Amino acid sequence: MAQLFHKSANNIAKASIVGAIVLAGVAGFAYTVIARSSYLTGRYIERQQPVQFSHRHHVGDDGIDCRYCHTTVETTASAGMPPTQTCMNCHSQIWNDSPYLEPVRASYRENKPIKWERVHDLPEFVYFNHSIHVNKGIGCSSCHGDVANMASVYQENTLQMEWCIACHKDPQSNLRPKSEIFNTAFDPSTLSEDEQKKLKEDYKIRSREMLTSCSMCHR
Amino acid sequence: MLKSKLLWILTFSLLITAGCRYDMQDQPRYKVYKSSDWFQDGRASRELPEGTVPRGFLRDNKALYTGKIEGVTATAQTNEQGQQITFPDVVSEFPMPVTQEVLDKGEQKFKVYCSLCHGAFGNGDGMIVRRGFPKPPSYNDDRLRNAPVGHFFDVATNGWGKMQGYASQVSVADRWAIVAYIRALQISQNPNKTATTAPTTGKTEEKPVATPTPAPANTNTNVAPKPSNTNSNVKTTNVTNTAAKPTKTGGNK
Repeated sequence: MAQLFHKSANNIAKASIVGAIVLAGVAGFAYTVIARSSYLTGRYIERQQPVQFSHRHHVGDDGIDCRYCHTTVETTASAGMPPTQTCMNCHSQIWNDSPYLEPVRASYRENKPIKWERVHDLPEFVYFNHSIHVNKGIGCSSCHGDVANMASVYQENTLQMEWCIACHKDPQSNLRPKSEIFNTAFDPSTLSEDEQKKLKEDYKIRSREMLTSCSMCHR
Repeated sequence: MLKSKLLWILTFSLLITAGCRYDMQDQPRYKVYKSSDWFQDGRASRELPEGTVPRGFLRDNKALYTGKIEGVTATAQTNEQGQQITFPDVVSEFPMPVTQEVLDKGEQKFKVYCSLCHGAFGNGDGMIVRRGFPKPPSYNDDRLRNAPVGHFFDVATNGWGKMQGYASQVSVADRWAIVAYIRALQISQNPNKTATTAPTTGKTEEKPVATPTPAPANTNTNVAPKPSNTNSNVKTTNVTNTAAKPTKTGGNK
């Protein structure tokens, strides 16, 4: 009986082993790229909101503090979404006939909340508390970016676990003084190492082991 | 043979991914601000039934929680036209001790919630006023300088004129802290006139009253209160010199 395969098939077999390894490597790399892509994480994607609300105008131009609307950020897990009443504090008087604000006035008239499109949405198996971060030296912009310059808010970071953990492993380089927490233009990396160390002591930041234990976030 | 095996593996793995669900990401429970199909107005967060009091929220200290006292017509003054200005039914003393911590907190909260309209010095020239909101009266005129503290608390709580109430945005303790800070502002802006109702309570440890630090020139003040480097000359009761420039410092940028 004649041979089924030609001699050169040996080479093909060898090459296919190498090829398989390379392919697996490429596939693995592609997976990490795709998993971190904004297609899956939602990073940098601007959402259409029912009202054309601009943080750049309200925070950047007008100088309104984050806490004016997100009132509970220092005290509770949720930063707090402002009720329509908060909009009307000013917009009952200014821009009160603008067509852009009709959804706000309608919400106020009919006592129906505005349905904002959620931008930052953590999976619900993660416990996250705004107040502890804000009170321990993590500024808004460390996670949310320079919101004072965002016309429509987008997600600045991946919000993936590796991103959370990166900071929980090394919180020191992300700390800022109490006075700069709500300053979205502040860059914590401008602080010297000594200043960072001092902040870490002052805020009584817990050990790396503590901060990276599973039950810190999955509780 | 090999081909069909591969095909099987592919279909099988596809089937597995089709089974992927997001039950853990989006769990069937209500979190803050979630919507609900169950309730007619679509809100998962419910309002308290009328007449119920949550444990620990019995607010029976009326002076503290409303700034009011019935039947007491507090401090009456006469204005330039000789008319009597009265503030009926409000308390004229702080219902809690005024300490440096309270004033510091008041300063912080004032800058967040009040200075937008009332201006950094309470002259009514804040950014929102410059944007077209009706100008509020200055804290530094005689009427408000002599108004009892309960009046300020009541206004912060329930609003006044074009101003809406801030009860939902600012807690009771913070509102009182703001009132204490307003008093400090008034004293600092009128160094030569003695405020008739400086912050006093029976229990107060008489700590020195801080003068507000002038607002830095940019409008970012409210976003990022810089640590004041003027503090050295600030923590004294003698405010005569520190506040020589009364008006407009926060405005006209």
